[in-house]
Amino acid sequence: MAGGTSTLESVVAEAVFSARGVTKVYDMGEVQVHALRGVDLELFAGEMMVLLGPSGSGKSTILNILGGLDRASGGTVLYRGLDITKARDKELTQYRRRHVGFVFQFYNLIPSLTALENVAAVTEIADNPMKPAEALEMVGLGDRMHHFPSQLSGGQQQRVAIARAIAKRPSVLLCDEPTGALDSETGVIVLEAIDRVNKELRAATAVITHNADIAGMADRVVHMSNGHVTTVEQNEKRRSPKDLHW
Amino acid sequence: MRALDIKLFRDLWHVRGQVIAIACVLGAGIATYVMSAATLDSLLTTQASLYRQYRFPEFFVGLKRAPASVRDRVAALPGVQVVEDRVIAPANIELPSYAMPVSGSIISLPEHAGALNLLHVHAGRLPEPGRDNEAVVSDGFAKAHKLIPDFPLNITINGKKKVFRIVGVVSTPEVIYQLAPGSIVPDFKSYCILWMQREPLEAAYNMTGAFNELVGTLTPGTQVEDVAAAIDAILRPYGGQGVFGRETQISHRYLSEEFKQLGVMATVFPVIFLSVAAFLLNVVVGRLMATQRGQIAILKAFGYSTASVVWHFLKFTAVIAALGLALGIAGGHWLGSGMAQLYKDVYRFPYLEFSLRPGVLLVSALVSIVAAGVGTVVSVMRSAAESPAVAMQPAPPGTYNISLMERLGARWFAQPTRMILRNIERRPMKSLMSIGGVAMSTGILVLGGFWGDAVDYMVFAQLRRAQLEDISVTFVGPVSNRALYSLASLPGVSYVEPTRSVAARLRFEQNSYRTAITGIEPEGRLRRLLNDKLQPVEVPPEGILLTDHLGKMLGVKPGDTLTVELLEGSRAVRQVPVAALVSEYIGVAGYMHRDSLNRVLREGDSLSGAFLQADMSYAPEIYRRLKAMPAVAGTGARAQALESFYETIAKQMLTFAFFNVILASTIAIGVVYNTVRIALSERSRELASLRVLGYTRGEVAYILLGELAVLVFLAIPAGLLFGRWLAGVMAQMSQTELFRVPVVVDPSTYALAALVVAVSTVVSAAAVGRKVSHLDLVEVLKARE
Repeated sequence: MAGGTSTLESVVAEAVFSARGVTKVYDMGEVQVHALRGVDLELFAGEMMVLLGPSGSGKSTILNILGGLDRASGGTVLYRGLDITKARDKELTQYRRRHVGFVFQFYNLIPSLTALENVAAVTEIADNPMKPAEALEMVGLGDRMHHFPSQLSGGQQQRVAIARAIAKRPSVLLCDEPTGALDSETGVIVLEAIDRVNKELRAATAVITHNADIAGMADRVVHMSNGHVTTVEQNEKRRSPKDLHW
Repeated sequence: MRALDIKLFRDLWHVRGQVIAIACVLGAGIATYVMSAATLDSLLTTQASLYRQYRFPEFFVGLKRAPASVRDRVAALPGVQVVEDRVIAPANIELPSYAMPVSGSIISLPEHAGALNLLHVHAGRLPEPGRDNEAVVSDGFAKAHKLIPDFPLNITINGKKKVFRIVGVVSTPEVIYQLAPGSIVPDFKSYCILWMQREPLEAAYNMTGAFNELVGTLTPGTQVEDVAAAIDAILRPYGGQGVFGRETQISHRYLSEEFKQLGVMATVFPVIFLSVAAFLLNVVVGRLMATQRGQIAILKAFGYSTASVVWHFLKFTAVIAALGLALGIAGGHWLGSGMAQLYKDVYRFPYLEFSLRPGVLLVSALVSIVAAGVGTVVSVMRSAAESPAVAMQPAPPGTYNISLMERLGARWFAQPTRMILRNIERRPMKSLMSIGGVAMSTGILVLGGFWGDAVDYMVFAQLRRAQLEDISVTFVGPVSNRALYSLASLPGVSYVEPTRSVAARLRFEQNSYRTAITGIEPEGRLRRLLNDKLQPVEVPPEGILLTDHLGKMLGVKPGDTLTVELLEGSRAVRQVPVAALVSEYIGVAGYMHRDSLNRVLREGDSLSGAFLQADMSYAPEIYRRLKAMPAVAGTGARAQALESFYETIAKQMLTFAFFNVILASTIAIGVVYNTVRIALSERSRELASLRVLGYTRGEVAYILLGELAVLVFLAIPAGLLFGRWLAGVMAQMSQTELFRVPVVVDPSTYALAALVVAVSTVVSAAAVGRKVSHLDLVEVLKARE
């Protein structure tokens, strides 16, 4: 991923995602809800991007489309040159399986599997995964590997979810309100984990939040409102999550 | 409409698949009950109505010959209401289209007004007075041979052949079932009953001014036993064979035994089906309600009281119960009237009074309400007990453990398999309930199929192990053993075995039973007595052998001494020790060594019938020669008996069982579908998460359906055992004089039950598998519930 032989290739490799004029219309019977009204967006390799915006601004919708959970109504989304808006359902499954790591607001761990097994549930179906224990070490849960979700705190469960998302060595890590259900102190620990895997694995990371304080840890901050990207800011320096407070 | 009620209907619509499946399970249970009750009630009502309308007598007595004046002496006895004398004559009938000899009885037509045994005319008309050559024939015979009046028939009475015109087809309660003398299964093909004017019959049978049977009714409150002694005393000098009541009259006995049999099936099947359906309804509704946890919390947060929340969800299940009830009653009514019509044809009733008691509907409603109500209340109360704030939060992750199999060392499973095992172990009660539900429906499938196996086994035991003759011959009376030579000289006949049959009353202490004693050869090759393992039982030189059910009815065991009252010939009364009990599934009878029976009868080496082993390719010639022998009263063929058994007794049982197999399948499918459908709604979030993480539909479906497969895999053997147990209970309960149902379940019945459950599992899995594809992946990223 680090540098190509030609300029063109290196540019394409740099932009993991390239979204152009993406629209999304939900047909709710008699009304049509325009969730995205033509979004242009890039996500570069190894980058940490924070998507900020109020509810209904379209940030979850664009994340779902990038992650292959939802389809755009119009426009193109290129993942490393491949248009995922045209991919079939089977191909999207394979795409999620190989390339995308998800972190949910409510963790969504499998309650019947231990922390280690929850991670293994993903590494078993991935092509070149790390060892499940290794992924848990990265999020600081080396000593909790054999606990079931019911035996873990919310922050610990979310870190297991992060370990599960990164264990496949994804090229993209998508996090939808990862700290939404957590208190500030626990939230910082979780963000530290995300920050660390972004740096160590160089996975292009997008974090959705409505909490502007979190924006400090990003390389770029994308503001969304009413289905549009309103502004894109480049942070001069990424702040450590430790220094964030809310 | 209130908002909550609108929610109710939308919720119901949302889970319509399950609503229908649950309603079907309940409906099938109710339908079994309604169908059985309606069928049985209709048959009994019709029977009673027919008996009244056609004036079925209450007592019967056969005699040798008595002058007409004797009738008035009987009529004058206190307790006797109406007496009718008549003439019955044995006859041989030639039916050109039918190879076998046809024997029959001719009965004199009732003459005066208010007579008994009125005839229902199905086709044609009754013989007109003065027309000496007219006769009518029983509809069973007419139907078996597809005879339509009017047509000529050669009838031999008392050795004289005469052509009669058959002008009508009739029936009467007396001959709903017709059995040739000595036969154990009804026979409509080679045995015929005819009626003709009394005068020509008297003339033909040398009975002018006399009668040989008396039938009558009694004043209200009088029992047959009250008048039997007085009647017998009057008739004894005329060869009276003893008065008997309806319960011994052959047609009534068969009919009531069949109704008894049907009654057992009509009780046991619905009890089992309804219990199973109620249990399943309870479980399924409970689980459905558990998935409503969040909704219950929201309602409570709005300020609804626990009672009003419970009431709301009770309405939810009430709709399902009402739907099931409506389906069950409509279906049961439809099946019941259809089945009663079928039985109407089997018994050839002239009409059918359909009857469905309001009590049946009431019980159905009650069962539905209770079964649905209990499951709902328990489950909703549990959810409502949580504080709304807690209940609205995503449920905390369930507490799981490493599964037993893994702890025992099976640690190589991939994560999806571990999920399956741990999920089953985590809630053992729920898993057990699911296994129980599927096992029960497997069990009732076995029970439905078991009847066919039992009937086949009965036929196998009776007609392939005990009765091995190709042709049986009955003589008009006892004949000397010289008759054997003429039978042996028939073409194709390779072996002849004599038999002697005599009507007798058996008494032991206060019990008595009227039946036939058959004298057989101890080394018999064609007629053998068997024990319950189908091993031959030796016929001792002295003593009597009884079929085990007769032994039970009389309360005797081997070694006891029976009083045997012969009803013909010497009419001797003897004390005979019971040598052994033998196992026979069809009918009840006594057996003796033929020599020993002849000694009791004080007859030499006489016989009343014979069994032939023959090359059946000579059958037409054998029958032709037998028809020409004046001493031969009737013949039977094993193949014929088999056919007759399947057409009459077996048909009524198997019809009933068939309907139940259909209903059992409905229950099985409903249960399996609900089990997996509820599992999906309980775990949709977990499964959708896995889809987001890149699991394919197949991999996710494996987790859901794998659990189902494990449960079904465990449930099937349990269900087969349960079915076998049910069959035993049912067989035990349905022992009648007519037949004892052996507890025999063929492997193919087990296989079919397992197959139906397996196929419904696969079909349900496919239906639910489609839903797995439509799991909402975006939803899992959002807040819960």
